[in-house]
Amino acid sequence: MTMSDQVKHYSGSRKGEPGKTMEEIWAAPTGVRRWASVSHRVVGKRFIYTGFAFFLIAGFLALLVRTQLIVPGNTFLDHETYNQVFTMHGTLMMFLFAIPILEGFAVYLIPMMLGARDLVFPRLGQFGYYCYLFGGIIVLSSFLFDAAPDGGWFMYVPLSTNAFTPGLSADFWLIGITFAEIASITAAVELITAILCARAPGMSLTKMPIFAWYILVTAFMIAIGFPPLVIGSILLEANRLLELPFFDPAVGGDSLLWQHLFWLFGHPEVYIIFLPAAGMVATILPTFVGKPLFGYGFIVAAVVSMGFISFGLWAHHMFATGLPILSLSLFSAASTMVAIPTGIQIFAFLGTLAQGKTRMTTPMLFVMGFLFIFVLGGLTGVMLASVPFNWQAHDSYFVVAHLHYVLIGGMVFPLFAAFYYWVPNFTGRMMSERIGKWVFWLMFVGFNATFFLMHVTGLRGMPRRVATYPEGLGWDRLNLLSTLGSYILAAGIALFVFDFFRHLKRGALAGRDPWGAGTMEWLYPTVPVGFNFHAIPPVESREPLWDQPRLMEGKAEAVEGVLPSVNDGRRETVGCDPVSGAPLQVLRLPHPTFVPMFTAFSIAVAAAATLASAYWIVLAGGIGMLIGFSLWAWEPSDSGVTRDVGLGYILPVNVVGKRSHMHIAIVGTMLVLYALFASLLFALLYLWNSYPAFAARTGDPVILWTAGALVAGAVLVGSGSVNRHFALADRIGAALLLNLVIAMIGVISSGLLVMALVGTDPWGTALGATMWAIVVFVCVNLFVTLYWALFNGARKITGCIGAGQSLPDYNLGTFAKGAGAMVVITAGLFLAAAMGGLQ
Amino acid sequence: MTVLGREIWALTIPAIAWAVHFIAIYTLISAACAPRELIGMPLLIILGTAATALCGIVAIWPAIRPPSGDALGLAVRLGATIFALAILFDAMPLIYSSGCGG
Repeated sequence: MTMSDQVKHYSGSRKGEPGKTMEEIWAAPTGVRRWASVSHRVVGKRFIYTGFAFFLIAGFLALLVRTQLIVPGNTFLDHETYNQVFTMHGTLMMFLFAIPILEGFAVYLIPMMLGARDLVFPRLGQFGYYCYLFGGIIVLSSFLFDAAPDGGWFMYVPLSTNAFTPGLSADFWLIGITFAEIASITAAVELITAILCARAPGMSLTKMPIFAWYILVTAFMIAIGFPPLVIGSILLEANRLLELPFFDPAVGGDSLLWQHLFWLFGHPEVYIIFLPAAGMVATILPTFVGKPLFGYGFIVAAVVSMGFISFGLWAHHMFATGLPILSLSLFSAASTMVAIPTGIQIFAFLGTLAQGKTRMTTPMLFVMGFLFIFVLGGLTGVMLASVPFNWQAHDSYFVVAHLHYVLIGGMVFPLFAAFYYWVPNFTGRMMSERIGKWVFWLMFVGFNATFFLMHVTGLRGMPRRVATYPEGLGWDRLNLLSTLGSYILAAGIALFVFDFFRHLKRGALAGRDPWGAGTMEWLYPTVPVGFNFHAIPPVESREPLWDQPRLMEGKAEAVEGVLPSVNDGRRETVGCDPVSGAPLQVLRLPHPTFVPMFTAFSIAVAAAATLASAYWIVLAGGIGMLIGFSLWAWEPSDSGVTRDVGLGYILPVNVVGKRSHMHIAIVGTMLVLYALFASLLFALLYLWNSYPAFAARTGDPVILWTAGALVAGAVLVGSGSVNRHFALADRIGAALLLNLVIAMIGVISSGLLVMALVGTDPWGTALGATMWAIVVFVCVNLFVTLYWALFNGARKITGCIGAGQSLPDYNLGTFAKGAGAMVVITAGLFLAAAMGGLQ
Repeated sequence: MTVLGREIWALTIPAIAWAVHFIAIYTLISAACAPRELIGMPLLIILGTAATALCGIVAIWPAIRPPSGDALGLAVRLGATIFALAILFDAMPLIYSSGCGG
């Protein structure tokens, strides 16, 4: 029996604003406090607008590249500047535009589509946005210091090591991008939890809008796909800052290790970009065809299989690096295979189109553009999956053409469709259909003129990333036409920007459900109220606005549903069973706060100070971060009460147990941490397997200390389990004691792991450096366990925890089990090495 | 467990089988073809075939015996088929390659 079954009624209001109406409680803060907003609608729009600003900057850089290549022998940009321009173009597009803007749409739309008043961790959303903003500013500020990165958007080593890139340019990239990626990972955890835990009553997984399936799979992919790059970036920065030799072949390092880690992230990233955009297409198409999506089940299967299989393709970016033919064949087969789930989605879209007469509005034009361009990009992708062809086309403009067909066709065209489709929801006004059609045709013609010709340019042998070329190679006219095409494409985007600003004052008022859509974000007249729903209606189908006529018959605020009024003066939404969608709990949501912004700013200070080698300021930033997170978590618990939410439901607030939204978020976080850990283990095994001679020169771990760590790790796992048990049994005193035990075992485990490596020189071999990197990573996790345990203990001693409020201990138990298992795995590997010898 | 819960599992298990198989094949190839040469080609083929047979059966099973619900029935059957095919695709190099090459 969980605590939720035992909760008691009480009349206290925790951090509430009693006496206020729902409108007042959910009102957007004004003045300076607008920056403290945690609303998903505000945060989502900030992601979208900031991402679009990066898109415009990156697009301008692309125009500089094309202008440089317009004629042979051009001197418009010198070679150094050209390198910086194309590097920043790729970096901004891939890291600071594509993923954040799609996440912005997801953050904005998912709660409205699913019938929630907000995401379940609004402060995490604000924190992620500021990490993204500050990280982006750090990367862009490199231009001000004449230190813009110039090593290409994938920052290959050894080019990006100190020997070949002295100065700070690579550091700006590594620190800024890693920082910005925190936003993607936090958004992923937040979206997974929101989709699984906060849906309207009755919205089972099979009744979710298809967009939510796409975002759910994408979020899991981010949680697993981003960590290899985070680890790669940290290792490379450690290489540059501390001269740890992870990539130095002279001591058993390998530059291909960077490529593996980068592309373990980089290839899934293509699908991370494509899937949300395809989800937008799958949402927009049925609206304009007037029929439900064809093959919902087919698409779910295709999206899930694509999410998995896309992790098996990374080495097809490394076909020319000398990998064994057998490996190339494996990755070639997997790369070909991914065409099947992609094709299923395309055929489902075509099937939807075939079901009815299509209204060819501007969003639909962009959807049709997506189908045309993306299919061509997919076909050249299958060509490049073939090893012999790949060897011929490698690093040529053919690849540039392919990736732009996939990314612009697969993401930018759907994105513009999404803008035209959902802008009325943002602003309450329609963008111009007439101008929109001009925008589409300019972009469509401009895009194909620019990039279709690049296939030919590449097949004629022009390598990518050359700053200029001699005349007479057959590239002149193709480059001229590509550049002219890019200007047409840019004109289309400029016209879109004009139309956006024009519509803010002169666009026709959109009203309620202007496109006749079936999904819940259109329930209210645009712009919807800040809390999305006065009462959250039960949902019976995937297109509730089509299939439940009562929703659209009267005023939206009069629709019947759960949580029709305010409880305890708090912001709240209804939480559900992850599978069935049955109401499970009331989720209490935070009110506006500056704390996440302060925390992100502290990390930004630490990151910038690292660049400036001002290590006292790094320390200050780290302490600020710790204070920020502590303030964040130090607040009265909301669990332990039940509330009548209407329609016959009496639900506990913030349920304690496995189905708690916070526990699901902890599991999601553990997924990210284990992906980081697995990336380090991959590096360890890769170097051990590839360089036996250097492995033999690495000092073996000390058996005694390693065995001790193994035992301590196992005890930590056991303590975590017991802590969860005490939490469920609401034994606060026993849990306090166990908090101290967990803290102590965390310290002991760290000490034993460090002692185990006393004979291993991190500068002696790459393998030794990697072993130390693993220990440092595990120790960081143990420090979190220690801090968390002491934090929970302090909360109990100061009376912050009452009966039925042991969720933090339950979550700590899960985290401690995960951290303990990391100690066991690490110690187990070290013990095997110590007993058998590393040779 | 509810019918829908069983369907979600049936959708997920073939995916996990594919992931396990891919990691197994990649690990075996790395064990055979990296400088350390932990295993030889015959053992690579034997273990690879065993992994393919085992994971292939696990992956295709939900398509042969789908759970009783019909909410995600199509997705379960199609997903299982895709992953079983992917497992076969990934094992193909073991069949037609005589050595590591390269």
